[in-house]
Amino acid sequence: MRAVPGGINPASMIEVDQLTKVYGATKAIDGLSFTVGKGEIVGFLGPNGAGKSTTMRILAGALGATSGRALVGGIDVLENPRAVKELVGYLPERPPLYTEMTVRAYLRFAARIKSANDPAGRVEKVIEQVGLEPVAHRLIEHLSKGYRQRVGIAQALVHEPKVLILDEPASGLDPAQRVQIRSLVRGLAEGDTTVILSTHVLPEVEAICDRVVIIDQGQIKLQGDVHDLEGTGQAVSLVVARFEDALRQTLAAIEGVQKVTETGKGRLHVSSDRDIREEVARVAVPFGLLELRSQHQLEDVFIRLTKEDA
Amino acid sequence: MKVFWIARREIEAMFSTTIGWLVLTAYLLVTGVFWFAGVVAYVERSTDLVYNPYGAPEMQLPMLVSEFFGSCSIVVLMIAPAISMRLFADELKQHTMELLFTSPVSVLEIVLGKYLGAMGFLAMLMLCTAHYPVSLALFGDPHLPSFALGYATLLLMGSVLIAIGMVFSAYTSNQIVASVLTLGASLALFLVSVLADTPDDWQAKIALSSHLSELLTGIVRVSDLAYFVLLTLVALFVTHQRLESFRWR
Repeated sequence: MRAVPGGINPASMIEVDQLTKVYGATKAIDGLSFTVGKGEIVGFLGPNGAGKSTTMRILAGALGATSGRALVGGIDVLENPRAVKELVGYLPERPPLYTEMTVRAYLRFAARIKSANDPAGRVEKVIEQVGLEPVAHRLIEHLSKGYRQRVGIAQALVHEPKVLILDEPASGLDPAQRVQIRSLVRGLAEGDTTVILSTHVLPEVEAICDRVVIIDQGQIKLQGDVHDLEGTGQAVSLVVARFEDALRQTLAAIEGVQKVTETGKGRLHVSSDRDIREEVARVAVPFGLLELRSQHQLEDVFIRLTKEDA
Repeated sequence: MKVFWIARREIEAMFSTTIGWLVLTAYLLVTGVFWFAGVVAYVERSTDLVYNPYGAPEMQLPMLVSEFFGSCSIVVLMIAPAISMRLFADELKQHTMELLFTSPVSVLEIVLGKYLGAMGFLAMLMLCTAHYPVSLALFGDPHLPSFALGYATLLLMGSVLIAIGMVFSAYTSNQIVASVLTLGASLALFLVSVLADTPDDWQAKIALSSHLSELLTGIVRVSDLAYFVLLTLVALFVTHQRLESFRWR
């Protein structure tokens, strides 16, 4: 595991130590250790099957771990899951919705079983917070995917949790709704709510998260401050009409280039520790350069780390 | 209190699905036919008694009541799988168990809430037939404790069948599979007494029908009550263990 400098809030709300979960012969997560400070927003990144959801489910108290320890608000999730569940609001990848209920009735039920203070009042508050007023009286089965996702977020928020765990919260939302949820999460964090979210939308992480934890094959590949990560490398991707091995060799010979990967027919990804766009363009033109673009920095870090072992 | 909210949600869910209304309709229709046929037969026998006091078959009021509740027990046997099948299977299919599992609710509270919800729905079905004894009481002088015992027996039987149904519902995400397995197990438990040669054989002792027939004839024995309570508790315990295992899968 590599780490980049990134301040960890000393008042940590979540502490995970050597957490391991084994399914049969498969290690879903393997010795994960990280901490999340109070009021911090941490982005969980990783390819499908990396172990993000398993980690989140363990933290939410839905799943036991094979070994290791996870503390939320100083309480051991495995020893006292009930107390932890009072602190945690959890949105699974697939929102757990009783579709035969109306939005308001569903949220009232969620508020009651989650021991919310003043359930009716909290329900009206989250309906307003998440923008569900127009559909509050409607059956969930008649809602669009975006609204269903928002109902899922509302149920996670309804008991004013100190820790919010969101698995793919932006899934199914249109760009305007994403911005709304982003500002909602930011607002919650300013109010000292700790947030862990997983997403595949990398710009989302940069826009909203303070820190990022990249997981692959059940292990942490990198964790640190989002802005520190952005400075760890630069990359370009290019498309050429006539790919030849000579091009790969020439690109690899450019000073500072760390890796050249063929990502498709005539498509290449070049990572480096400096800006190499000019040299790459010059080298690639004789091969019929069709497209050249600067790779998103976090995206590049993500691709590099998760492809290394592949 | 959380047990109450879970139970209430289950009852509301039954009434917001087609299956709930179908079960209610079928129960009222079939038991209505049984009641009508029972009353007609009773009236005919009463008439015979007036005109032929020595030749008519022996008769008494419990005949009507125990026959009616005996027939109702077959209906309960048929509808209990339809009530219990969705309790967990639907949650597993729709991935909604995650809400309960990540809320500060114990597995015991979940199991009890679901069980009481299903029993509450069954009790409502029974309540819908309360006009039978009420109408008799308006025009005659029926033996009401017989009716009370009849309803209590149906609820005890329903309790066992619903608890067994919960076990199967917790083992599959397919409601139809859960319902067929529950019906199969219920019929086997009901009819296992046919394999017995004498009433002392173990097949007769474990059969639902043996314990039911005693209660329906008005004989209340602690051993019969213990049978229903024990079977319910065992089935609820198995369901509890099954749900608890989800955390470790």
